[in-house]
Amino acid sequence: MSSLNASLASALSGLIADQGAMATTTNNVANVNTPGYSRQEPVLVASDPVVLSPLTFGTGVTLQSVESIRDPILESQIQQQTQAEGQYSTLASALQQTQTNFTASTGDIGTAISNFFDSINQLSTNPSDLSLRQGVLTAAGNVASSFNTTADSLTQQQTSLDLSVVQQVGQINQLTQQIAQLNTQVSNLQNVGENAGTFIDQRQQAIDQLSSLVDVSVIPSDNSLTLITANGAPLVTGQQSFQLQTQTNSAGLHEIYSQGNDITSQITSGQLGGTLQARDQEIPAIQTQLNTLADGLATSVNKVQTAGYDLNGNPTGATSASGTPQTPVYLFNPPAATGAAANLSVAITDPSLIAASSDGTAGSNGNAEAMYALSNQAIIDGQSPTDCYSGIVFNVGNSASNASAEQTASSQVLQQLNDQRASISGVSLDEEAANMVRYQNAYSASAQVITAINDMLYATIQMTTLTG
Amino acid sequence: MRVNPNPYPDLLASVAQTQQQINTDEQEIASGMSVNLPSDNPAAAAALVQNADQTSQADQFERSIGSIQGEMQNADSTLNSVITSLQQAISLGVEGANGTVNSSDRAAIITQVQGIQSQLLSLANFTYQGNYVFGGTKMQTTPYVLDPSSPSGVTYQGNSGTNSVTLGNHFTLQTNLPGSQLFSGSGTDMFQSIQDLITSLQSGIGIGKAVTEVSNASNSIDSQRVFYGNALNQLTAQQTYLSTETTELAQQQNTVGGADLTAVISNLTTAQTSLQATLEAIGQTANTNLFEYLK
Repeated sequence: MSSLNASLASALSGLIADQGAMATTTNNVANVNTPGYSRQEPVLVASDPVVLSPLTFGTGVTLQSVESIRDPILESQIQQQTQAEGQYSTLASALQQTQTNFTASTGDIGTAISNFFDSINQLSTNPSDLSLRQGVLTAAGNVASSFNTTADSLTQQQTSLDLSVVQQVGQINQLTQQIAQLNTQVSNLQNVGENAGTFIDQRQQAIDQLSSLVDVSVIPSDNSLTLITANGAPLVTGQQSFQLQTQTNSAGLHEIYSQGNDITSQITSGQLGGTLQARDQEIPAIQTQLNTLADGLATSVNKVQTAGYDLNGNPTGATSASGTPQTPVYLFNPPAATGAAANLSVAITDPSLIAASSDGTAGSNGNAEAMYALSNQAIIDGQSPTDCYSGIVFNVGNSASNASAEQTASSQVLQQLNDQRASISGVSLDEEAANMVRYQNAYSASAQVITAINDMLYATIQMTTLTG
Repeated sequence: MRVNPNPYPDLLASVAQTQQQINTDEQEIASGMSVNLPSDNPAAAAALVQNADQTSQADQFERSIGSIQGEMQNADSTLNSVITSLQQAISLGVEGANGTVNSSDRAAIITQVQGIQSQLLSLANFTYQGNYVFGGTKMQTTPYVLDPSSPSGVTYQGNSGTNSVTLGNHFTLQTNLPGSQLFSGSGTDMFQSIQDLITSLQSGIGIGKAVTEVSNASNSIDSQRVFYGNALNQLTAQQTYLSTETTELAQQQNTVGGADLTAVISNLTTAQTSLQATLEAIGQTANTNLFEYLK
């Protein structure tokens, strides 16, 4: 049979459990705005009953544990989407900046090339006119400077992206260190059977931040976890973190090393992946196209320029009027093997040296016409200069537009996933208020029970006194 | 089912998105263009580069036509003067051939014809903007100079070169006729015929033949003058074509990259309404939870 003392113990267990549950609610309410916090729930179980044959009596309630509510599969989806979002948002903003060099303006390359050929057409109407010749030189100078400005701006952007690489690697190292420390704290608590929810939340938050920077895979193990990059370079193993290093390459850009291996080209996701994609693929691709255009244009113009005669009737090619070898008179300095766009420059300052004449007379415009004809000839990889430039504009615009679209898509998916996470793990004040009422009522009820037992015990004691 | 207890991130994302839409619409309205960055529409941006180049080319062709037109009009009217002078010479020759003309009258006629000779010389050496128009491509050298040792009395210092200027994508126009072709080509020689007329008037022999010679020269020049007339007509036609092309290019530019203002303004209004609604929704959600009612 049961005793009043046993009932008192049951009621007490209720008071203790409700206090614990109340503490959980209080903690949830306190953390309602804490980023990454997962709501906690008290796990209440009925205490083991005692069997006093033929009856079985309950022995109250036990607050078995406080559990953080989260969905591990959802968390890993969020990580992946965070990586994609990080990559595309970085790439999109880099390309957004790149494409401003290719918007239609008075100084863009396309306009400069059009104006250059226009000036030659004008010269063709009066080839001996010095001011028209000067007009061609000025327009050629504008072509050169438009290429220079654009190429410089691309290089500058590449340099600043390179700086971002170093900063992002620094952030990654800081986060992996933090995660390794949190691993220690989590496993210390879990080894003694305690709830490590808060540290797990902090670790999850750090992993999310890390995911936004680089592609990581999470491999959970007992009480701990291992982080590796997509290509298998270790970042965190249990309580140890592995730092990534940077080292400049021959081009002056930073390569990323893990354990002595260059893993730069294998990082494809996260902000670092996006930065590297912009720095090592997108911008170099545009640079190559620009160099091809600058080189093709300068070389073709020079070829025509050195096939005629200047205003004074002197041949501009490699052979002088007297038949002796001479330095050809170029219009553009012959482009170097690398950096044609960045280094494009006009070779002459004397307008009379422009080879407009095809027969040696000052009035002939035959060579100017040949030079003008280049504007519609397939002189650059089978394309006219303007076709080539409009192709570059298309490529730049297309890359920027694709990156923006990917970014929009991935951030929408991420938002939905975060919604889902919040619907599972987020703290609801309504729910907490309701729980508070429940726990408060339960506590009051237990307290009333104790009062009743107290009365009963008192009655029992009185009974003994009367008989005694 | 448990719902997301914190709707703010979603609402704020929606606000940001709507704000972005408003910015884009405002930019389109301000610039009148739907393609303000290559990424707005890469294919259209590339087409606009082509369009800008073609427009620039067409504008340049119009300017070049303007430059050439002046020269050709002047060349044409100079040739008109040449023909008038030659007609005068013919009249004088016919007058000199008349047996009733006395020697002093004939001397006066000879002086007049000599005057015409020097007039023709200066007409053949006509310059436009510093260039000798009838000297072939040797435009910086006086084409005809007096030369007593030459049978025609002059020497041609120019060449037979011609210039052609591109004035359209498939239109190239020859812009000059060299003096060698104009004044002494096709079996006639203007200066020789005048010299022959003077010589025949002086000697009184073969005046009729010399007059025929001058007449042939005049006819030859007159027929070649058609070159300038045709060229000027072609220039006018090309101008008309180019101005049509420019209009078409402007239309194309508008079709490819112009903003549909009606649609944009309607979008903008929708976006503004949506923004307002979202902000109001945020305001509404602000102060409601169960704790409020547990007092």
